[in-house]
Amino acid sequence: MKIIQDLKKDEKEIQSLKSRSRIVLVIISFLILVGLSKIIQLTILDNNDYVTESDRNRIINMPLFPSRGLIQLQDGTIIAENIVFQGIYINRKFIESSGAQIELLHEKVLQDRPKVSYLSYKGESKEKIWLVDNLNEKELAKYELYKNSLPNIKLETSLRRFLPHKNLFSHVVGHMGRITRDDEIDFSTEKYLSDSLIGKVGLERVYEKSLRGFPGTSAIEVDVFGKKIRELERILPKRPSNLTLTLDLQLQRIAREELADRRGAIIAIDPNTGYIKALVSSPDYNPNILNGSEKGMPFSKVFKDQAPFFNRVISGSYPPASTIKPFIGLLGLEEGVVTPKTIIEDKGFFQIKEDGRKYRGWKEEGHGKVNLRKAIVESSDVYFYELSSQLTVDRISSFLNKFGFGDITGIDLFNETKSTLPTRNWKLGTIGEAWFVGDTINIGIGQGYITSTPLQLVSSISAIATKGKIYKPRLISNSNIQEYKPELLMDVELEKEIHWEIIESSMIAVINSRNGTAHNLFRDKGVKIAGKTGTAQIKSLTDQELTVREEYQGVRENIKNRDHALFASYGPIPNPNLAVVVIVENGESGSAVAAPIAQKLIENYQLKFKPNE
Amino acid sequence: MSRSPLDYSINKPLSSRFNPLVFIVKDLILFFSLVGVLSFGLFMLYSASGQSMSMVYRQMIYICGGLILMVFVSHLRPNSYKNLLMHSYWLGLFLLMYVLIVPAKGYETSRWIDFGFFSFQPSEIIRLILPLSLVAYLCRKEIKPQLSDWLVTSGASLTCAIFVYKQPDLGTAIIVLTSGLIPIYLAGLPFKIIASYFGLLIVSAPFIWSGLRPYQQERVLTLLDPDADPLGTGWNIAQSQTAIGSGGLYGKGYLEGTQSQLDFIPESHSDFIFSVIGEEFGLIGISLLFLIYGIIIWRIFKIGYSAESRFERLACCSLGFIFLLFILINVLMVIGIIPVVGVPLPLISQGGTSIVVHLLAFGVILSTKKI
Repeated sequence: MKIIQDLKKDEKEIQSLKSRSRIVLVIISFLILVGLSKIIQLTILDNNDYVTESDRNRIINMPLFPSRGLIQLQDGTIIAENIVFQGIYINRKFIESSGAQIELLHEKVLQDRPKVSYLSYKGESKEKIWLVDNLNEKELAKYELYKNSLPNIKLETSLRRFLPHKNLFSHVVGHMGRITRDDEIDFSTEKYLSDSLIGKVGLERVYEKSLRGFPGTSAIEVDVFGKKIRELERILPKRPSNLTLTLDLQLQRIAREELADRRGAIIAIDPNTGYIKALVSSPDYNPNILNGSEKGMPFSKVFKDQAPFFNRVISGSYPPASTIKPFIGLLGLEEGVVTPKTIIEDKGFFQIKEDGRKYRGWKEEGHGKVNLRKAIVESSDVYFYELSSQLTVDRISSFLNKFGFGDITGIDLFNETKSTLPTRNWKLGTIGEAWFVGDTINIGIGQGYITSTPLQLVSSISAIATKGKIYKPRLISNSNIQEYKPELLMDVELEKEIHWEIIESSMIAVINSRNGTAHNLFRDKGVKIAGKTGTAQIKSLTDQELTVREEYQGVRENIKNRDHALFASYGPIPNPNLAVVVIVENGESGSAVAAPIAQKLIENYQLKFKPNE
Repeated sequence: MSRSPLDYSINKPLSSRFNPLVFIVKDLILFFSLVGVLSFGLFMLYSASGQSMSMVYRQMIYICGGLILMVFVSHLRPNSYKNLLMHSYWLGLFLLMYVLIVPAKGYETSRWIDFGFFSFQPSEIIRLILPLSLVAYLCRKEIKPQLSDWLVTSGASLTCAIFVYKQPDLGTAIIVLTSGLIPIYLAGLPFKIIASYFGLLIVSAPFIWSGLRPYQQERVLTLLDPDADPLGTGWNIAQSQTAIGSGGLYGKGYLEGTQSQLDFIPESHSDFIFSVIGEEFGLIGISLLFLIYGIIIWRIFKIGYSAESRFERLACCSLGFIFLLFILINVLMVIGIIPVVGVPLPLISQGGTSIVVHLLAFGVILSTKKI
């Protein structure tokens, strides 16, 4: 009986166990179902997404950058090249766990360098933290020795831009820099890395695409630590082009020497092609320091407030001053307002009939009876006050525009400004005032609202040399792929061709006549040059009670208020092959300071074409 | 108790078709399923450990030791070790207290006991000791358990769980508590007590949450949105999901899993070995593994339901559920359904303690089977 009872009890108990097990099983089955459906979702439904994801984890497409194209002169002289740098870095992910390795690195490899706290790099977003960017040979050898104890510290070889002539071509070639938002690089389509260098100004920027070539790709499989396992695929890069400069090394050197310790700009151009032969803006800087290929300061502290990065040739807006006079004279002839024989009495001032305001010339006692030739040779202000008041602003503006004033020339440099060629509408829009006759009169002597860049000035003056033809200024004549042929930008046609000769002969007389403002340049058997001096006022002389000279003496106390010295010229006559504009900021005298530089350049350039004696 | 533990089987009459293998391992299907899973585990461990033979050898030693222990235990009479099992609770509790008082050096949390050549986590042992000792306690008398028995066993589970929580290891604490509650429930815990436990839990829930450490709260929260923080706490889960998902139906092939071979999966040889299986063998591999696991669990219950005593039945069913639960928790954790807790994939993940303790449990199960 007891056994049967026991069996019954057992039976009951097994039933209870089974039913309770079933309840647990139901709960667990629910979890199993959740798990299975998730596994099916992962492996079947979202499989493609995860395949992509896992490939993105392990495959890194490393761009293969070809070495940047060279920039050289016609004769093969290297102006910009690439030099090898061996740098060591730590991946951002490992910086905090690499303290001991950094210690070891300093102890064994970098004994000669000061210690730096690399944890201060924490905030930066860059992936690589550079410990040293240029190991010397000794350090490199030691690094190789200790490499295995420094697994987090990686070596990378990079090429950096180097200009053997340092400052000499700084405003031509420009420099490289890290990509910023301003560069508007679309990283998805263009193969740049976040730490790639890109041309920031100058030729480096304008010819970035050609100099860079087309990067290839190397698909690399990496592990979770970013360590390369193997290369999966490689697409070779396309070689970039080497560029040939139009510049003349000799002229460039002379120009820079002449402007040393001064602020100013020199531009020399072949009027028949637009090829630039010298381009100097002073002060300048050492691009190698910005390129990371040299250490130090890019410019001396003395130039700190003088904008050494500012390219005065293409971005500096100066009053053209008296260098505008040949063009105003040309317009006067064209419009028939004056003839070469028209005489104006220069008593030292010009008075506007309507309001009686007096405009003084630079020469207090006046130039007496003045015709066009004398007005240009002696630079009579009063003659051009009179002439421009009759020409009106509308005719002056549209005529000057034909010579490129108020427009960019399209030179292959970055950040060219178009300066200001004022019109009635321009004044109304910009200053909010109506145009006065006085404004026109100021333009007549290249003062007031009108400004131009040295580049515009040389471009326009070359039109006189070529009788109307203006070629687009170019720094690059050809690459190894294509030739950049001279490009005719404008062709100014005159009613009478003879007017060119009248103006040119006046400009020759500026130097050759005894009374010429640049007669100091005259040599008996020298190269024949046509030119025009200019002295651009910085501080306008408005107080009518003071005499000009007294007032100016007061103003010039401050060097920054002194006039700019200008000289626009071309030569030799006949068959000019070089047009030169020289601007020396606060140089005061166009003839004494600016003109000799221009002459030196033109003369020196002729040596190239003389047979060796 | 005059008989020696071994003579029970020796005295059994031999069956007409004597099979020495059956005599030794008692259940051929269960044994070969276990050997199958264990071998597969070694095979996967080689891949997941970055092809380290030394790790495989070490694991193999544990497996062999575990199997010998299993076979040995399977020939003991359950009644002979029932009392020992009941008192093993104190050993477990002692180990849990020991790690809290004398934390092993070199570990962030006080979970480990380090013997130098061998280190283990007592919490891995308590997961299996606790349910068995509770079953033994509840079946120590012939009569049905009384209210006091229920409260004592519940209290004993909770005590272990609290000690584990203090290590601190919230996930394992919950698992320990669950592995204690399963046998209590199966033994017939009255519904009134269950209801009152639930009431207590709901009332104390806010206090428990505020008592959690911030990183534990964070772990629970990453569960809700693992994609929100791919490089933080959710990174492990995201990588493991990527591995399984990219494996697809057929997998990438043995040793070809990029996520696992390139170390994107953290702890790929231990807790996350399931994602290596998924990546290299795909859904098909996962299904096959589940099938063998299923056979093992089926055998456990089959043996359990036909066992002779209440103790044997309860022990088998409890261990069966706990085994199933561990698999489930590990898989759910790896695929990102539940937070990351330290539960290895039974019989596969690298780790000596886990293997040996599980095989011991199978020894207990097999010991209830009569040939």
